[in-house]
Amino acid sequence: MTTVDLATDLSKTPPSHHEAGRRFDWSSPFVYVIALIVVGISVVPVLYVILGGFRSNAQLNADPAGLPSPWILNNYGSVLTAGTFWQQVANSTLTALATTAGVVIIGVMAAFVIARYNFKGRDALYTLFTVGLLFPLTVAILPLYLMLQNLGLLGSLLGVIIPQVAFALPTTIVILVPFLRAIPEELEDAAVIDGTGRFGFFARILLPLSGPGLVTVGVLAFVGSWNAYLLPLLVLGDPNAFTLPLGVQAYSTQYSQDTAAVLAFTSLAMLPALIFFTLAERRIVGGLTGAVKG
Amino acid sequence: MSISDRSTTEVGRDRGSIPAGRADSARPAASQPGPMNETRRAHQRRNARRLNLFIALFAAPALIVYLTFVLLPVLLAAFYSFWKWNGLGPLTEFVGIENYARALSDPVFLGAVGHNLFFVIASLLVQGPIAIGAALLLNRPLRGRTVLRVAIFIPYVLSEVIAGVAWRLLLQPNGPFDSFLAAVGLGGLKQLWLADTNLVLWTVFAVVSWKYLGFAIILFLAGLQGVPEELSEAAQIDGASWWQTQRHITIPLLGPTIRIWAFLSIIGSLQLFDMVWIMTGGGPANATSTMATYMIQFGFQRSQFGFGSAVAVILFVVSFIFALIYQRFVLSRDIGGTMSRRVG
Amino acid sequence: MKNRRSIMRTAAVTLAAGTLALTGCAGGGGGGGGGEGGGDVTLTWWHNGTQGVLKEYWQSVADAFEEENPGVKVEIQVTQNEELQRTKIPNALRSNNPPDLFQQWGGGEMAAQVEAGRLLDISDDVEEELDSIGGKAAGWQFEGQTYGLPYSMGIEGFWYNKAMFEQAGITTPPATMDELNDAVSKLKAAGITPIAVGAADKWPAAHYWYNFALRSCSQETLEQASAEFDFSDPCFEEAGEHLQSFIETEPFQEGFLATSAQQGAGSSAGMLANGQAAMELMGHWNPGVMAGLTESGEGLGENLGWFNFPGVEGGEGDPKAALGGGDGFSCSWQAPPECVDLLKFVVNVENQRAFAETQTGLPVAEGSEDAVTDPTMQTLLEGRDSAPYVQLWLDTTFGPTVGGAMNDAIANMFAGQAQPGDIVKAMTDAAATL
Repeated sequence: MTTVDLATDLSKTPPSHHEAGRRFDWSSPFVYVIALIVVGISVVPVLYVILGGFRSNAQLNADPAGLPSPWILNNYGSVLTAGTFWQQVANSTLTALATTAGVVIIGVMAAFVIARYNFKGRDALYTLFTVGLLFPLTVAILPLYLMLQNLGLLGSLLGVIIPQVAFALPTTIVILVPFLRAIPEELEDAAVIDGTGRFGFFARILLPLSGPGLVTVGVLAFVGSWNAYLLPLLVLGDPNAFTLPLGVQAYSTQYSQDTAAVLAFTSLAMLPALIFFTLAERRIVGGLTGAVKG
Repeated sequence: MSISDRSTTEVGRDRGSIPAGRADSARPAASQPGPMNETRRAHQRRNARRLNLFIALFAAPALIVYLTFVLLPVLLAAFYSFWKWNGLGPLTEFVGIENYARALSDPVFLGAVGHNLFFVIASLLVQGPIAIGAALLLNRPLRGRTVLRVAIFIPYVLSEVIAGVAWRLLLQPNGPFDSFLAAVGLGGLKQLWLADTNLVLWTVFAVVSWKYLGFAIILFLAGLQGVPEELSEAAQIDGASWWQTQRHITIPLLGPTIRIWAFLSIIGSLQLFDMVWIMTGGGPANATSTMATYMIQFGFQRSQFGFGSAVAVILFVVSFIFALIYQRFVLSRDIGGTMSRRVG
Repeated sequence: MKNRRSIMRTAAVTLAAGTLALTGCAGGGGGGGGGEGGGDVTLTWWHNGTQGVLKEYWQSVADAFEEENPGVKVEIQVTQNEELQRTKIPNALRSNNPPDLFQQWGGGEMAAQVEAGRLLDISDDVEEELDSIGGKAAGWQFEGQTYGLPYSMGIEGFWYNKAMFEQAGITTPPATMDELNDAVSKLKAAGITPIAVGAADKWPAAHYWYNFALRSCSQETLEQASAEFDFSDPCFEEAGEHLQSFIETEPFQEGFLATSAQQGAGSSAGMLANGQAAMELMGHWNPGVMAGLTESGEGLGENLGWFNFPGVEGGEGDPKAALGGGDGFSCSWQAPPECVDLLKFVVNVENQRAFAETQTGLPVAEGSEDAVTDPTMQTLLEGRDSAPYVQLWLDTTFGPTVGGAMNDAIANMFAGQAQPGDIVKAMTDAAATL
């Protein structure tokens, strides 16, 4: 267990990588080349899809890998002026936000008691949630479908949201438990001395402190919901209730001869998530840092 | 900062097992030594009751949603696996373990298991080193660091459906990808990326890696923020090269992150579905089938729900065994390795 | 806070109670048929016409039906073909909230739905329609009762580009395998891709084997195979041998294993429609699909020709027999009577004539044939009506279990990984699991 001791000792010194970092030769072109390659591989296919939306089908057929010339705005224009796209953006957003809120709220509550109280069945409870990591939604899709229809949830976004919350719980709890455990007990003792109850401690002290962890699980749940395909496909029937992945699939079959329009629709379907993650980048990485350490 | 640092070590030590409670402090009596009188005992009982109620109220919502919408359907699937059932009408024909025997003796299913193992091993051996290497190189205040991070995170953010549709389009014969290769002078590398049964598994692996490599890099970059610079500085002062420093100090300290990533990667590889389904449907000639695509294709699409459920159970059991082996074997080896590699 | 918690708990308890009602026993469904009080009925209708004329046509039928039947509202849901047939309909039929009127291909798949009590027996309501449609409705009947009606029944054959045939010096459409092989060589010599096949979807590839089986096996053998899953007759292995030697002539486009049948200009139908291949073996729906895959929306127009699958030497099947199938609709078991009215409306002569004009299929109602004006479609209609027998698609006939195994094995042969005997073995093995 010497490693652990070593690490513990180290941890007493706050990391200061930013200052220390400058000792290296940052301008090293090699590093920038690597960075450029990584960025290129990640971004070029996406750029291709976005730029393809600015081309005509004739351009795409003549030279599949070329650049727009001239730039065609029609494809994007017609998608943006069609109501279905905006409706699907709203559906995806609503579903993802509700899933995220649901899983974060009930997840952090459960993780809180599992992490900080000794009670009978706690180990069993934690194991139960951990095992859930091993169930992909595909395994349970048929019984789940029957259940949703008995509950009258087919065709409604709730029928997507509730199972998504349920299937996101294992990850959420497994990430949050160590995170919440790490918050020093002195804080809780101090809170008790101040006359703050358990709930007060949870709401006023613990929640704010676990911000990064909550962001992490929230982001994972949001991404999962935003990208989900199989469950929405089965639950949602009406195109007006579609989420974006369903919309992309439906659009790409309906207008399959119009590759440029499909590319435009696909790009626009990616855009909200891309914007969201660009804006939240700092918090996400911060959250991941917390999760990784937790 | 020190809060989460502490957790690194604790959890690093016993990740996977239940966190040992230091939390007993919440028990009212813990800090009250000495003889107790009746009122105190009553007070304590009332407190204990209240604590139990509090715990129950907090755990209940998650537990109920989880039991209802995850565990119950999964158990039902397990129940169906012992029946011959076409998905319509009542369960009438109990067949015991026949469905399991059939799956385990089907070369196509065994092939699918093989493909899953390929994804597990290839991900660990190819994605891991590349991601760690990239993270080590990029863990410095580069110009445009934020742009870089967003850029490498983009594929992860995209839906597998959207990414799959896009790549299928890019990789079609004489499609944009081939044109691109020709344009950069690599036209000779042109292949039937999705049609060549000897190549298609690697193609799918490459696309899956494209999708998830960024996530791994971000994860490792995040992990590296927890590795103190002082150690490597000290090592460099002692004359260690950059690579020696990384190898003997940084990478071992990245252990917990690597373990988390490996776990996610293994489970993800075993459960791989959406991307394969969209890009190849498991084909051609089952060359890219995975356990999950096999389950949908041979179980659900052929109206053999009992059989499909048996495959689902096998998929779960395989994941479960992997998880167990991982915890017992990889975990202990990781700690041992870290110790033996300690820099003196 | 307390309030919210108790609401959560109540909600949770309600959910838990709801799940107890699971597995089978009808919980009243949710929504679905909708507002049945006050004479207002909403019918849900699922079809696969995702593009172009067919989509518009079904909408116009729904509008006309609503106009004739005040108080009835028709809600259409359009889904891509495979997703509809393989995922959405089976799931919906398992639930208590199925669509009222939905796509039905008949055959073994329909039989399973009937046995599970999921379809409405419409025998007594459609006697007139049965008279009009005749023997073509047989695929929608099971044990003497009727559970659906076709609106289109067509046969399969090679669709070809007349201009390309001319360019390659092919004067008459091939009638024998030798002539087909000859045509393939001539097209190749002219630098034209002879045949496009969407092998990624498996069934387009499998249809080659079906046709060879139709030519190799007698009608009786095929009937016996459908009824008893007996594939021991050597003609089934022969079919595989014919297919194998045909594949060896390399008549297909590059990378055909990854080509889809109908999605986009790069699909097999798109290749034929856009002049990138000379032939495609496909059903009667192909002109409609092709039209949707060209920018002009017209497909090949006058350049499109059709010929029946060539005969093979020494085969026991009638060379004029055709492989075919139909598109139809069924009503689910809970559907209101208006569903049957809508179905009857769909197949009345007036609408069948209007359907013929969409050129997306061949109408089945008596008196609608002459509404087929396109010369190519007329050829097809003649082929259908002059065929001594029309064999339903083999995968539909055998049902999803055996049919799926058969399609997979044939697709493997296209990938060079199955021998003729493997196909027969896969079918026999799958039948053993039933």
